[in-house]
Amino acid sequence: MALVAVLPLLTLSCSETPPPQQHHKTQFMALGTLVTVSLWGVDEDDAAEAVRTVEDELNRIHKTWHAWQPSTLTEINAALAAGKTYSADPHTLALLRKAQDLAHRSGQLFDPAIGKLVALWGFQSDDRPDAPPPARADIERLLANLPDMNDLVISGDTLSSTNRDLKLDLGGFAKGYAVDRAIERLRALGIDNAIVNAGGDLRAIGAHGERPWRIGIRDPQSAGVIATVDTQGDESVFTSGNYERFFTWDGVRYHHIIDPRTGYPATGTVSATVIHRDASTADAAATALLIAGPGKWRRVARDMGVTQVMLIDEDMHITMTPEMEQRVYFRTETPPQVTVSEP
Amino acid sequence: MTRADIIVVAFTLALLPFLYGTFWNRQGPADTALIIDESGREFGVPLDTNQQLRIDGPLGVSVLEIADGRIRFLDSPCRGKQCIHSGWLDESGEFAACLPNRVSVAVSGSEPLYDSINF
Repeated sequence: MALVAVLPLLTLSCSETPPPQQHHKTQFMALGTLVTVSLWGVDEDDAAEAVRTVEDELNRIHKTWHAWQPSTLTEINAALAAGKTYSADPHTLALLRKAQDLAHRSGQLFDPAIGKLVALWGFQSDDRPDAPPPARADIERLLANLPDMNDLVISGDTLSSTNRDLKLDLGGFAKGYAVDRAIERLRALGIDNAIVNAGGDLRAIGAHGERPWRIGIRDPQSAGVIATVDTQGDESVFTSGNYERFFTWDGVRYHHIIDPRTGYPATGTVSATVIHRDASTADAAATALLIAGPGKWRRVARDMGVTQVMLIDEDMHITMTPEMEQRVYFRTETPPQVTVSEP
Repeated sequence: MTRADIIVVAFTLALLPFLYGTFWNRQGPADTALIIDESGREFGVPLDTNQQLRIDGPLGVSVLEIADGRIRFLDSPCRGKQCIHSGWLDESGEFAACLPNRVSVAVSGSEPLYDSINF
C-alpha cells in the first residue's frame, strides 16, 4: 500500500520538470552591461529571432541615449548648453516627457538634469580615473544654480532650456526604458512568457510554464541571494544600490548615486528595491527612494505611485511596505529583522 | 505486517532522504560557469576542475580562479575592482562582471533555483 502512495509522488515530482527545449536563456552584452533574455514556450528559431530583435533594440537605445559617447543625447546637451533649441523626433519627446513626469513626481530627487554634477564626480566614464572626489567649492558652484527637469522646455517638437547648466543624464531611467521597449518588441512577436534582465534589473511577463517566474534578490553584502519573489503576470523588479559603482579615496567610499540636494552621494540607504508594472517607473522610483533615504521615502513612494518597496539601510536593517512583505520570501537561514511600514 | 509490507516501508524510508534532498532542500549548486568575453564569445567551463583562466579584454587580462566548485575574479585590470569584490560564485544564477574589461561570468546548475537575479 505504501508503494502505491510513493509512486504517484515520484511521478508527479518528475513531471514538474519541463522538456528542456521549452526554456531558452540567452546572454549578451548591451547597454554597457550583461543582458539576459529568458523565454518560455517558444521554439528555437523564434527564440533566436526574438533575442536578435531585443539585442538590436537595446543597441539602438544605447547609441541614442549614451551620456558621454556621441549620441542623440550628447547632441541635445550640446545644443541646450549653447542656448540653442533642438528639434526632436517623437520617440525622444515621449521619453523626455516620461522622465520629466517621473522627476516631478519624485520631488526632483530623480533628477536627470544634473549631468554636470554626475560628470564632476567622474561617473560619466566607463572606468572612473583614479582621482580624488571633486572639491566642495566646485560642487557648491553647481548647486547654486542646479537645474532640474522643469528647466527643460518641450514645445511642440522643440526642446529648449531655461538653465544653461542643464545636462541630461538618463542613468537612473534609461535601463528601465530600454527594458520596457524590449518587452514591447517581444510582445509584438507574439511572445507572452519572458524575462528581460539588464544588469540585474528586470521585467517579467507571463510565467515559466505552470509555475511563476522566480526571481532571486541579491544580498547587498554578498554575491548570495537574500530573498525570493515570484512574479505575477507583468512586473518589473528594480534595485538601486550604492554598491553598484563606487570609488574609494583616502579610505572613504563614494558611490555613483548623487543626491541633488547635497551634491554628494546619497546616504542612509544601501539599496532600494521596487516592484512595479512598468520598468521605467520602477527604475526612476528605485533611484529616488535610495536618494530620499529612511526619513523621506514614504512620501516619494506615495507620490510616484509605487506600493511595493524594500529598503536596506546602512545597518542592514530592512524596511518594507505591507504589499512588499506579502511578496518576499527570505532565503537566509535566520530571517533578517524587518520593519513593515505603510508608504 | 507482512514481509512485503516491511520491504515497502523500508524502501519508502530509504527513499525519504533522496526525496527531501531533491525536492525540498535544493540549494541550487552551480556546476558550470558561462564566461563571455569582449567579442561576445561564450565559454562554458565546468567547476569541477581547479584552475586559473586568463581572459583578454580591452584593458588587459582578467584572471578567473576556479576552486572547490566555485569561481571568482582573482585579478582584473579595472580600477574599481568591483568584479573582485563580488567574491566567489557557487549558487546557480549568480554572476559577476568586469564591465570595463568586458568580461562576465554567470554560473548555473542543472536545477537553477531562480529564473533571474535582481540586484
